[in-house]
Amino acid sequence: MTRKMMLLGAAGLVAATGAAQAQSDTSGMRIALSNNYAGNSWRQAMLQTWQETAEEAVSEGVVAAADAYTTSENQATEQAAQIQNMILQGYDAIVVNAASPTALNGAIAEACNAGLTVVSFDGIVTEPCAWRIAVDFEQMGREQVAYLAEQLPEGGNLLEIRGLAGVFVDEAISAGVHDGVAQNDQFEIVGSVNGDWAQDVAQKAVSGVLPSLPEIAGVVTQGGDGYGAAQAFEAAGRDTPLIILGNRQDELEWWAEQRDANGYETLSLSIAPGVASLAFWVTQQILAGEDVPKDLTVPFLTITQDDLDQALADTPEGSVANVSYSREDAQQVISDAR
Amino acid sequence: MSVLSKPWIWAWLAALVTFAATIGLTSGRGTGELAYAALSFGAFAAIVGMGQMLVITLGPGNVDLSIPAVMTLSATLALKAMGSEPGTALMGLGVALAVGIGAGIANYALIFLLRLPPIIATLAASLVYQSLAIWSNRGLRIRPPEGLADFATGRMLGLPNVAWVGLVIAVVLWAVLERSIWGRWLLASGQNMRAARLAGIPVELVRATTYLVVAALAGLAGYLLASFSGGAALNMGAEYLLTSIAVVVIGGTSIAGGYSNVPGVWGAALFMFLVVSMLNSYGAGAGVRSVLTGAIIIGIVIAASTRRLRT
Repeated sequence: MTRKMMLLGAAGLVAATGAAQAQSDTSGMRIALSNNYAGNSWRQAMLQTWQETAEEAVSEGVVAAADAYTTSENQATEQAAQIQNMILQGYDAIVVNAASPTALNGAIAEACNAGLTVVSFDGIVTEPCAWRIAVDFEQMGREQVAYLAEQLPEGGNLLEIRGLAGVFVDEAISAGVHDGVAQNDQFEIVGSVNGDWAQDVAQKAVSGVLPSLPEIAGVVTQGGDGYGAAQAFEAAGRDTPLIILGNRQDELEWWAEQRDANGYETLSLSIAPGVASLAFWVTQQILAGEDVPKDLTVPFLTITQDDLDQALADTPEGSVANVSYSREDAQQVISDAR
Repeated sequence: MSVLSKPWIWAWLAALVTFAATIGLTSGRGTGELAYAALSFGAFAAIVGMGQMLVITLGPGNVDLSIPAVMTLSATLALKAMGSEPGTALMGLGVALAVGIGAGIANYALIFLLRLPPIIATLAASLVYQSLAIWSNRGLRIRPPEGLADFATGRMLGLPNVAWVGLVIAVVLWAVLERSIWGRWLLASGQNMRAARLAGIPVELVRATTYLVVAALAGLAGYLLASFSGGAALNMGAEYLLTSIAVVVIGGTSIAGGYSNVPGVWGAALFMFLVVSMLNSYGAGAGVRSVLTGAIIIGIVIAASTRRLRT
């Protein structure tokens, strides 16, 4: 056999694999989830949704395996090593929630070069060969102010609760909030604290800054911090302002209590942890040979006054409001992006 | 000048100055509110800080990095055991303390039996505790029983109940350190472990009890914090890792070991809350706030340690 013939043979093999993809059969393929952090209720719900989606998909023969791996220290170096292991283990695709948008690019490029499909979501990566299922965090900030402008046409003072300093999500949501306030000059941000997306940290930060603040009309938040802010206002004996909430069950329950007691109205704006199932199905679609644009956008999970009761009924006690995305939802998101 | 030579005075002075600076901004409005908030939130930092102080007093290399994970695990298991049922508060407290003591035994076993440096042993163990907390309840938030929540957020004689708990612990620890044989053993072990051993002090027993006490205090702090804030969260202890060490150092306890300082820990715990409140009130951004907090801490530590050298 000449060298030329060997090359031809290899080319034929590649073509055959390509043809298999076009037939949309992914039943022999294995997907790995590389997750950087598991230490809060949102991530726990995310992992659970992944597991449910994966188990169902595997039992229906859609894919051969969809295993989840979480790094213990939320470090980019650790996650890069994890991705390299996944390449060696022969997975066909890696779904990644990244510890850093840039630090994993080397490992991701290696995976792409080895012929793996890489899909990043929530914590996305900038490496061009990977797909990105991103959240429009700036829009999240703008929508909060837009809602406040609707509810409080006369405007007023706002308190901004930010997330963890130095994380790009915090910068992006805050930029959106400030952009929104610039467009609605009846509002003024009179105070800004970091709540680290944690209820107790937000409660502490707001308690410390409240004595020096004038009357507050509205509080813009980043999720996980609304209930803590409400507790701080209550402990200080102040009127509860309009606090935009996230999707934790205790926040929703507090909202329902307030609504029943005094007709309190607000809005819950968040990203459903079920976005992991969206990432799963998008990956499956890519593996099946679908032409998927590299940049997709996650829809927000919005809970309004009208569907609060339904959301509360659907959310397990102490967890977060969630939706699980189906293959059809993924196809919808893909066709919206085209 | 004798009062200025006390290492703890600097933390209290700093707390007073930041308090006055914040109140100055509001021209007196909210004085009581701010003091009340500082005592409430300072109590948690003070309780874990006093535990960390005992460990640091043991001498170089001794530190407990598992405090956040022990807080999370105790709070998670205690709230799960109570299941929001009324009348279970004491049982929950028992669970939290038992988990804390269990973690303390495990930490010390790693240090003593495997001869691991305490930094490595407690850090590694904390990964196990954190994973157990995740595994035991999957991050679901269980509410504390109503009576317990009312106690944790309530007040007595104008002071928050959690601050009373922190004060009682402070008085007990102060008495133990200054007046009891165990306290003397601890200080002697921290000053020179070899000399202490040769002098007949049961050094390993002292170390063992110290690691148990710090873990029990972390368990208690986790239990109180979860009751205070409406439930345990998986990331609830995270900020207490650095805080617990910072309050010890700012409070004037020697980082080299051998000298404890209970009042300083409380002053530093109040200061740590007040300095963030002050910078937030003046509208400092997160970057400026971190830089200033760091600079102020360095300043206080220098002030406290140079005074000690002169006396």
